[in-house]
Amino acid sequence: MQLLGQATDIAPYANWMPPMLSEHGGQIDNLISVLHIFMAILFVAWGAFLTYTVIRFRARAGHKADYHPVKGKASKYAEIGIGLFEVFLLLGLSMPVWAAYKNNPPKADDRVEVRAIGEQFQWNFHYPGPDGVFGRTNAKFIDAASNTVGLDPDDPAGKDDIQTIGEMHIPVGKPIYVRVSSKDVIHSFAIPTMRVKQDCIPGMEIPIWFTAKEDATTERVKREMIQEFPVADVDWYRLRHHVAVQDYQDESGQVILKEGEGIGLSREAGEKKLKTLRDVTDTIKMQPRNPLEIICAQLCGNSHFKMKAQVFTYDAAGYQEWMDNAVPKEVEIDFGGF
Amino acid sequence: MSDHSHDLPFWKKYIFSVDHKMIGIQYTVTALVFLAIGFGMMLVMRYQLAYPNQPIPVIGQFLGEPIVAAVENPDTGETGYVLTGDGYNSFGAMHGTIMVFLAIVPLAVGGFGNFVLPLQCGAPDMAFPRLNMASYWTYLPGGILMMFGFFVKGGAANSGWTSYPPLATIATTGQTIWLLGMVILITSSLLGSVNFIVTVVQLRAKGLSFFRLPFFAWAQLVTAFLLLLAFPPLEAAGVLQLMDRVAGTSFFDPGGLIVSGVEQNTAGGGSPLLWQHLFWFLAHPEVYVLILPGLGIISEVIANNTRKPLWGYKSLVYSAIFLGFMSFIVWAHHMFMTGMGTTLSTFFQATTMIISVPSVIILTCLIISLWGASIRFTVPMLFALAFLPMFGIGGLTGLPLGLTASDIHLHDTYYVIGHFHYVVAPGTIFAMFAGIYYWFPKATGRKMNEWLGRIHFAGSFVFINAVFMPFFFMGMASVLRRQFDQTETLHGAAVQGLSVMSTWGAFGLAAFQLPFVFNFFWSIFAGERVGANPWHATTLEWSAPSPPPHGNFLSEPVVACGPYEYSVPGEAEDYTMQSPPPATA
Repeated sequence: MQLLGQATDIAPYANWMPPMLSEHGGQIDNLISVLHIFMAILFVAWGAFLTYTVIRFRARAGHKADYHPVKGKASKYAEIGIGLFEVFLLLGLSMPVWAAYKNNPPKADDRVEVRAIGEQFQWNFHYPGPDGVFGRTNAKFIDAASNTVGLDPDDPAGKDDIQTIGEMHIPVGKPIYVRVSSKDVIHSFAIPTMRVKQDCIPGMEIPIWFTAKEDATTERVKREMIQEFPVADVDWYRLRHHVAVQDYQDESGQVILKEGEGIGLSREAGEKKLKTLRDVTDTIKMQPRNPLEIICAQLCGNSHFKMKAQVFTYDAAGYQEWMDNAVPKEVEIDFGGF
Repeated sequence: MSDHSHDLPFWKKYIFSVDHKMIGIQYTVTALVFLAIGFGMMLVMRYQLAYPNQPIPVIGQFLGEPIVAAVENPDTGETGYVLTGDGYNSFGAMHGTIMVFLAIVPLAVGGFGNFVLPLQCGAPDMAFPRLNMASYWTYLPGGILMMFGFFVKGGAANSGWTSYPPLATIATTGQTIWLLGMVILITSSLLGSVNFIVTVVQLRAKGLSFFRLPFFAWAQLVTAFLLLLAFPPLEAAGVLQLMDRVAGTSFFDPGGLIVSGVEQNTAGGGSPLLWQHLFWFLAHPEVYVLILPGLGIISEVIANNTRKPLWGYKSLVYSAIFLGFMSFIVWAHHMFMTGMGTTLSTFFQATTMIISVPSVIILTCLIISLWGASIRFTVPMLFALAFLPMFGIGGLTGLPLGLTASDIHLHDTYYVIGHFHYVVAPGTIFAMFAGIYYWFPKATGRKMNEWLGRIHFAGSFVFINAVFMPFFFMGMASVLRRQFDQTETLHGAAVQGLSVMSTWGAFGLAAFQLPFVFNFFWSIFAGERVGANPWHATTLEWSAPSPPPHGNFLSEPVVACGPYEYSVPGEAEDYTMQSPPPATA
């Protein structure tokens, strides 16, 4: 299964890694692959040498240890070789990728900006809206239900700002510039499928940027991640974030699992559903409810493991549509009237 | 010297002892108890990770709030006890703290260092015996205080063994206990390290030049310097965090925090990152504190059981010194994801690559030492041989974490957990086992049972890999560390099976420690009696009787050769002792 051209093999967990959907991520995966090949060669070579030596020089009747050290330059050459390869890894692979990732932020007029604010235990997002300007924020305006970022109601620039909780909406193919911060403790803004990770330090706003691949729209990725699970071998844990892509009925025609539905939100319900499913089918075709997750990578309290958000990626038209619907309705936007 | 040792009352001989051997044994036994406690916590956590939110069998009911919460099974009506998120975090933080500060370091340095080092130097005791006693008697109360955290409101510290503020600053009382415990434990380490350095520098036997010291002594010396230089910043940082918690200061508090919707009324102006720099300035050298004594033990065991000199002894020594030095300038590679710019990250990833060079040299020397040997497969040697590839895996998997670009994907995932556990568990802990089997006869005059030892080794070797190998794959799938339930995320749920495997590996590992526990106690009383030098070893500790009396040596040792003169051509025996014991012994 291929998503885009050559590099994005989306077959779930090829090389054990989640699908890779960002433009810079390929280089990171590439480095990880090169490293593991290098590590495997070293380990196998060392291991083979060790095994051979241990067998050949085992204590036995008539065999004596040699007092004199073994002469030879092989180990020196091996050490120099490893050193040189590390220099190559450093200068050739790691530093350029990091520099490309960290230097040269996308230009202000060519990027989609969003603020991501972590708090125990949710992700809040703040968009500047159509005017492209973030409204002023202040802690005193924070309201857990309607104003999680603390937007100042008197600031005209903030009138068209969009706030979401637990959902980040972004277009594909355009640089996304996320200003990452935290309200309380240190969190870490991680999107595994984008190969993005940045700690959220309270008191600091740290920018990070990435571009989702041109056709990595949520809908597309979901379709590509459709998988057939053998019902006998899976449990609720494995399927809890998946939904069926077709109906499953028993002999009487009664629908046991509907298209778009998961097997249940609790383990008890899920295991019961699985039991009934086992009677009617050997496999079920499912896709992730949402393949793109933002997770918190820095311990932030007792519900740290639940601190996650969904990313929704759209093509240009889809993003515009989302934006049009998301802009606060009561706001009249007057672009030319000053 | 040795005459009055029998006159000492029980409490002076066994409890408030100033004899380095008794203190070493006290440290060893206490640390092994803590090792078992830390391991036990891990078993509970692993059960939760394999079977999230399911009642913990058997021991669940004894753990109490807030570690567990009672839940009723809707089908059967039975009450079960599941681990809570806070309980998991407490166990996580305390597992790390106990293993690093209460188990491995006290075992490696306090235990082996205390017992073996003065003997290997040919000294009658440590340079400052009372300081030595003070060190143990600071460590034990510190450890007990740490455990006391479980009994205060909110449970023990639950902000990770790294205790990053502001999370740690707003945490429950357990964190205050943790900080107090740390300050006491660090003090204990400092007392010990000063003693070690002075002993090696001042109390070496006649003829024992620095380059005739066994590598173990060198490893302990470098370790002592690391402890001495790296711990004070953490002690200071610990006091600062304590002040932030109890005295209203704001060293690590940037101000304006809104916790659970409530704005915190603090002065602010502090920096949460300052803590991380101070913490890792200790905690990275600490990694080498964990591994260097282990490498020292492995070197002794390898030299003894290959029956030939270590290959590249001087390279080993210089590498250990270089490693110690470099370990002070790599700390920020733990912080690549804090928003580090290119310049800083370039420096730290370069130093991180450089520090791998001496590690590679040490491992290479130890492996080449096997060439031309006559290898005896004693129990200590089995652990030492297994150590080599296991430490190799631990070291190699450091590469993708040390390079910033690959670290983006792997940072804070199980890959990190796998990496450092391979260094410390099948690495250092295997070395500790090797050391226990190797020096047990010196401490007790009896040998541990060989067959029980082999069973212990084989089972541990298989199952410890079953525990930790899955972590690398989970990390690649981006399962994050410190997650109470990895199935909460899509990618975590996809590799849940690996977590189950790891858990069963852990239970297998636990089962195979039973032969060791039995062997340890049984051999104290009923092990095969042995003489002063059962392994036919060369270094000075084997010139003293087993167990050595108060004052150690029957006559002052005079050293005539290097530490590893095995199979010297023309000698009658295949070992030439640094100082042969008097003929009567």
